[in-house]
Amino acid sequence: MSAKKEFSVKWGMAVDLDKCTGCGACMVACQAENNLAPQADASNKLRVMNWLVVFELSNKKSFPDHETAYLPRPCQQCAEQPCATVCPVVATERNEEGGIVSQIYPRCIGCRYCMAACPYHARYFNWFDPVWPKGMEKALTPDVSTRPRGVVEKCSFCHHRFMKAKDAVRAKGGEVYIRGVDNKMHCAVPEDGYITSCAEACPNGAIVFGDLNNPDHRVHKLVTGNADAFRLLERLGTDTAVYYISRREWVRRLGDNYLPDEQTQKPGQILPRKH
Amino acid sequence: MGLDRRTFIKFAAGAGAGVMITPIPWKLLDDAAIWTQNWPWIPALEDGENTFVSAFSKTDPSIVPIQVRKVNGRPVRVLPVPGHPLGGGVSALSAAEVQMLYSPARLKRPLLRGEDGKLREISWPQASNVLLDEFRKAGENVAFITGDVNGSIVEIISAFAATLGSCAVYPMPSDAQDAAVAAALAGLKARIGYDLENSDHVLALGADILESWGTVIRNRRIFRDARPHSFRKAGEETEAGAASLFLAYAGPLQRNTAAVADLRLPVYPGTESALALGIAHLLIAAGRTCGAVDFDEFKSFVAAFTPEKTTELTGVDAAKLQREVELLLTAQRPLVIVGSEFGSGAGAAPVLAGLAVNALLGNLNKPGGLSLLPKDVPLLDAALPRDVILGNNPVRFLADPKKPALLLIHEANPAYALPDPAKVREAIRAVPFSVAFNSFMDETAALCSLVIPADMGLERLDDVETPYGSGSLSYCVSSPAAKAGTGVLNAAGVLLQTARRLGKALDIAAYEDLLKSKAEIYGASSFEELTAGAPVQCGDKVAAGDFSLRTDIQRQAHAAAPGGEGRLRLAPYVRMSLGTAETGIPPYNNKTLRADELDGSLMSVTLNRATAAKHKVKAGDKVALQAGGKTITAKVRIHEGIMNDTAAVCLGFGHSEFDEFSKNKGGNVMELLSPLPEPGTGLDVWNRTGVDIKKA
Repeated sequence: MSAKKEFSVKWGMAVDLDKCTGCGACMVACQAENNLAPQADASNKLRVMNWLVVFELSNKKSFPDHETAYLPRPCQQCAEQPCATVCPVVATERNEEGGIVSQIYPRCIGCRYCMAACPYHARYFNWFDPVWPKGMEKALTPDVSTRPRGVVEKCSFCHHRFMKAKDAVRAKGGEVYIRGVDNKMHCAVPEDGYITSCAEACPNGAIVFGDLNNPDHRVHKLVTGNADAFRLLERLGTDTAVYYISRREWVRRLGDNYLPDEQTQKPGQILPRKH
Repeated sequence: MGLDRRTFIKFAAGAGAGVMITPIPWKLLDDAAIWTQNWPWIPALEDGENTFVSAFSKTDPSIVPIQVRKVNGRPVRVLPVPGHPLGGGVSALSAAEVQMLYSPARLKRPLLRGEDGKLREISWPQASNVLLDEFRKAGENVAFITGDVNGSIVEIISAFAATLGSCAVYPMPSDAQDAAVAAALAGLKARIGYDLENSDHVLALGADILESWGTVIRNRRIFRDARPHSFRKAGEETEAGAASLFLAYAGPLQRNTAAVADLRLPVYPGTESALALGIAHLLIAAGRTCGAVDFDEFKSFVAAFTPEKTTELTGVDAAKLQREVELLLTAQRPLVIVGSEFGSGAGAAPVLAGLAVNALLGNLNKPGGLSLLPKDVPLLDAALPRDVILGNNPVRFLADPKKPALLLIHEANPAYALPDPAKVREAIRAVPFSVAFNSFMDETAALCSLVIPADMGLERLDDVETPYGSGSLSYCVSSPAAKAGTGVLNAAGVLLQTARRLGKALDIAAYEDLLKSKAEIYGASSFEELTAGAPVQCGDKVAAGDFSLRTDIQRQAHAAAPGGEGRLRLAPYVRMSLGTAETGIPPYNNKTLRADELDGSLMSVTLNRATAAKHKVKAGDKVALQAGGKTITAKVRIHEGIMNDTAAVCLGFGHSEFDEFSKNKGGNVMELLSPLPEPGTGLDVWNRTGVDIKKA
């Protein structure tokens, strides 16, 4: 595995599972923003293309002690990517300031190693060419290229919006990266200047997006030192950029493969990576 | 010089080295990778100037303020309007509205049913003449059903009907209808609103306020703002940043609102009214009174609704009920919202019971309480006020053997959305001439004599006046964000033109004039500002005056309510991402279904494990749900969040029309529901249906 790249800016998300009602607005907004084609039969999930999926969680207790929560799952944007390390053609990598894991469609040869490697099942393969009902292609955004069959795709944290936000800073004559009072480099894009489509759509404010390294950003404040914040399968050491928040312990425990008698771990107690 | 072995090897080695050094093969490989992904059948993107238009989504019944992003004049995205009093995000339905403009089910030309019974395309002038002839023939024996009671179009329809000599204008059933009827019965000279913004304790009885009841996006924004993200320092048990809103939910299912509620009270479906009366009993026992003229009668009526009786009727846990009442009593600004679990069919009695609880909590017209908002006053002379129209019951109208000569159905799909749709279909077929004014080819349009393709909300100038659930009056106007196709027509324009051609012109020349007059009345600084997305709000309230809790009606409704004992109680629910009866399942939305909700064409029925065992079915079993002689087939899904003896089924499946995104997916749950008259209210109820479940 290649050495972990650290960036001054690390775009990330905090998803508050105590606010999510599982309505699916984020999923639809994601599809429309990123030009995913509709599918008439979306019940066969092995063939359905979704960059963001809302899962239903259960505390596994019987009625009336049962509780439900909903968990939106985009690409977790790992700092230690299981996917990029197995890609034979470097079609996916994390080498840009901001720490977003790219997916370069023209390079992808469709071998699907990355899909097998991704522990979050966040990668999807185009088994078919995308087909829009006649005329609906007019509603495609100009921001995200359409993908043919045979390539893998995934959530990009709406990277095109980051590009636009940087352009907006440059258009005003500013520098995109500036040194802060803490002597670290910060992105000059304002906190609300770059936000993913799912976070923008959510009426419940369940998804907070920003720079995890910037102490002024809400997402940094929400996940730093918050014992209710956790990441999915944290003990794999993937160092993801998507955090989840829940005051409910059973929800936090579902974030990882805990043994029944194992104590729920708090941030900072996570086992060091051994592989 | 011959080519010996050594020369050949040298040549081959040289060629190999040359190939490695030259960029040509790499360039060709790169090109091949690019061009093998660049097929002409994969749509190419078109860039251009970005513009934004303020609008609102009316396809979502909760009314969602939106901004439409356009590229080179083409609408491409629906974005939220954060500062709007009704906004704060987008719903799963409104997020797909731009794509719905190009839905395969979209109607593009008028269709007329021929003698062979088939619908055929005709031109608009032909359709206009047919319409005119039929209106002339029908005279005053005409009726209208509309799916839009939030805008001024209902005023145009009502005024048009009145000029023809008819007052038969029917809305589709909704929580708004139940509340309007309840307010009228209670003697309130107001419409009911809910000041969620200022409440510190909300109890939703049945009403799925974060998914399908009232102004959902506004409700969710209020929920968002009132409840900070949880933050707990390691080692500490308590969280910093307490929520300023406590949310309690009573309903049979653990979905949406229930999933994030602080307190959940599982109850049997359709028992909100009994639960509200049980709460009223405890409030009165705690010394609460209210100024209703029939309070003493109400007090003696609810004396029977002891916690034990309430538990027996609703299945609620008595201790939880007691706790919730204590929380209501100690809250500063409590609010109780009663509504149908699936947006219709609950009747007026639950709203009256909710009014009683709110009155006992002393929150009428108080901040964070139940608001009594001024009724709308129609501007067109002949038009009926909205609350009068909401008092008309379309279920009973369609069940009446006496049919109008002409029925115009505007942006509504009664053949799918009303209970017992087979009878509704029969009723529509029995009308001599029926007209559907729809954007999509739905189940109702497929039955009608004439189908007129209607523009969608994004394609027209339109307005919304104080949607149900709002806490204050508001008026919003939406600009057209997309150009309507050539064959597509505007309902207001068609009705105004038809009225003129019939020699019965209305008071206004164009729909826009009506909206401008309303803008003036609401005190908008300019019409342009309104169309730019700045709504007008007004804090006017109406005094409660001498209101009644209509104990007589509540008593009758309670006595007439079917118990559902011994059978499985059906709990239909709405998933707004699956669209409405009028939209079908939007193409971009069926991916939001989870794998266990739809398996190919088989929908799921959800039971808890104990209920499944009681009925001898298990997860994955294919079963038949039967009620009223109708059957739908489903696959058993186990979910422990469902109330005992209850079967949860999702509405929105079972379309026979629309397109491949909607058809052949599950069954229409409305087929299992039969309307029952609600005594004394003029409405019907269909939220307490018992079903039988058998392995299919």
